[in-house]
Amino acid sequence: MTAVIATEGLGMRYSKRWALAGCTLSIPAGHVVGLVGPNGAGKTTLLNLATGELVPTTGTIEVLGGRPAAGPAQLARVGYLAQDAPLYAGLPVADHLRLGAHLNPGWDADLARRRVERLGLDPKQKAGTLSGGQRAQLALTLAVAKRPELLILDEPVASLDPLARREFLQDLMESVAEQDVSVVLSSHLISDLERACDYVIVLVDSRVRVAGPADDLLAAHHLLSGPRRDPASLPAGLQVIAASHTDVQSTLLVRASGPVLDPAWTVSEVSLEDLVLAYMRQAARPAARDDHRHLEVRK
Amino acid sequence: MIWLTWRQFRAQAITAAAALAVFAIVLATTASDLSGRYNSSGLLTCHGDACSGLASTFLSNLASGGGGFLIAGSAYAILYFVSVLVILIAPAITGVFWGAPLIARELEAGTFRLTWNQSITRTRWLTVKLALIGAAAMAVTEAFSLLQAWWAAPIGKAVGLGGSSSIFSEGRFGWFVFPTHGITPLGYAAFGFALGVTAGLVIRRAIPAMAVTLAIFAAVQFITPLWIRPQLFPTSHTVTTITAAGASVSLRANPRLMLTASAVPGQPGAWIISSEGVNAAGQPVSTIPASCEPLVSDSLGSHRGFPSGPGSAALNNCVASHGIRVAESYQPASHYWPLQWSETGMFLALALALACYCFWRLNRRRS
Repeated sequence: MTAVIATEGLGMRYSKRWALAGCTLSIPAGHVVGLVGPNGAGKTTLLNLATGELVPTTGTIEVLGGRPAAGPAQLARVGYLAQDAPLYAGLPVADHLRLGAHLNPGWDADLARRRVERLGLDPKQKAGTLSGGQRAQLALTLAVAKRPELLILDEPVASLDPLARREFLQDLMESVAEQDVSVVLSSHLISDLERACDYVIVLVDSRVRVAGPADDLLAAHHLLSGPRRDPASLPAGLQVIAASHTDVQSTLLVRASGPVLDPAWTVSEVSLEDLVLAYMRQAARPAARDDHRHLEVRK
Repeated sequence: MIWLTWRQFRAQAITAAAALAVFAIVLATTASDLSGRYNSSGLLTCHGDACSGLASTFLSNLASGGGGFLIAGSAYAILYFVSVLVILIAPAITGVFWGAPLIARELEAGTFRLTWNQSITRTRWLTVKLALIGAAAMAVTEAFSLLQAWWAAPIGKAVGLGGSSSIFSEGRFGWFVFPTHGITPLGYAAFGFALGVTAGLVIRRAIPAMAVTLAIFAAVQFITPLWIRPQLFPTSHTVTTITAAGASVSLRANPRLMLTASAVPGQPGAWIISSEGVNAAGQPVSTIPASCEPLVSDSLGSHRGFPSGPGSAALNNCVASHGIRVAESYQPASHYWPLQWSETGMFLALALALACYCFWRLNRRRS
């Protein structure tokens, strides 16, 4: 499977601070990929590197096998919805579609018009007066109607209310179903990813903690509870991701290569949210820091 | 891209067109009266020295209100001043309001992320924007200039014939006239616009970029006639008598003796860049010969205890009788167009250099 985004030792430094360092990952095609991580993990930096807005300080990045924003052809293959869905406040909806039509050779005018009609946007309304949800929808329309092979969305729902968030993601899913397009979607709202994504990458401190199809990840992880015992005494093939203990009981989140057969354990399934949080916590644990990060992730 | 450029530029373009229209209407409605006054001033048929007197009369009538069927005479002084000022500040206006926000607004609003992720490179985006809006800035400024030159042609001719009166005294090389006529407005407009765009890209915020653009452009406009324009083309030199140079002795604290020439013999319309007193050996003289001191009148003004101000005719003669002559460096009238080309070329080159920097920075640096 070809990678839609492949990075090797990718690093980005803003004057003195490294926003992303030593990031190596490969995002496969044909998925709706959720890129998840705490604030400051480097998600936006990574996506800005993927769109060519930033030039990496170190390492390499390839998008669909090419250098980001290398030329009109490369730009045409990638649709990008930036954080906060930037639009020209003074231009009406119709002019945004005209902008898309003028600047993209592969523009699907039919698709754009249908979407705007379905969303109930008034073509004459200025973008500056649209609601947050409508703005995101219009920006998505621009990104989708250029018929990209890869759609990159940076925190597309972060600023939307729960209803708009759900509508946006549903609409995104429908668009993806209609077109043969890979999607990389960053978010710190894990519940959203659970609904939209079939592939998850957990990025913490610019390192990939876990990556894989959501179903495979859920099948391989279990929540075990049983009498208290030392996690080190577990059989091989069980990798403890998170553990909590009371005086008599241990609760472990483990990654297992096969089924867990030990009758001492009560085995239950984990949710994607629990799984992602466990990996983030694991990454943060060695330094025993940044508890606020978890709070941010959960909010 | 051309469509988007036009769509985003439409409002400014309409504003500029409206300003140009108002300018044209005001000048067009007064032009026939102005040329009528010129035709009836006797300047069409005069010969030799008579012309300069007639020209001065014509100009002073314009400046101080010699009556008229359409507008009062003094209105011409105001119109002339304002119209020149408009051409002088048009490049600053376009640089500040068209250039500075061009990239800065996109960066501020985040809309660069929208546009630069369409199927169009940043280089092409900037090329079209710079070319179209830069051309518009140059065209508008030059249109102002051509309109004004057409309207003010009688005034220019009268000044050329040696006439002079209050604000109508600047020849073609004047501080206000040279950069607002001929082809220099094109250079200033291109430079002002490129300066604004660059400031916007570097500062990344529109309002501070606008302020910086205005400050730098004003400084350049001030520095150019003082230090740059005289150097653009080799100057000519001559040494002549005080009378022939139309000079008069004036006194200051330091240097004591000033000889300010107003003409170069045999070089009508020359631009005098500097003049000073020299002795027979050609060495600069900055003191008044001792025997002339009694002629320094008490009626002169005073500067730090020294008498200062223009000296009397007797003082002039006394200084001249000591063999003191005037050394002038000047640009002859024939250098007008070479200087126009040089100055315009210099600003066009600066504009091009700034544009190249913008392209480089847009592609090399982060956003």
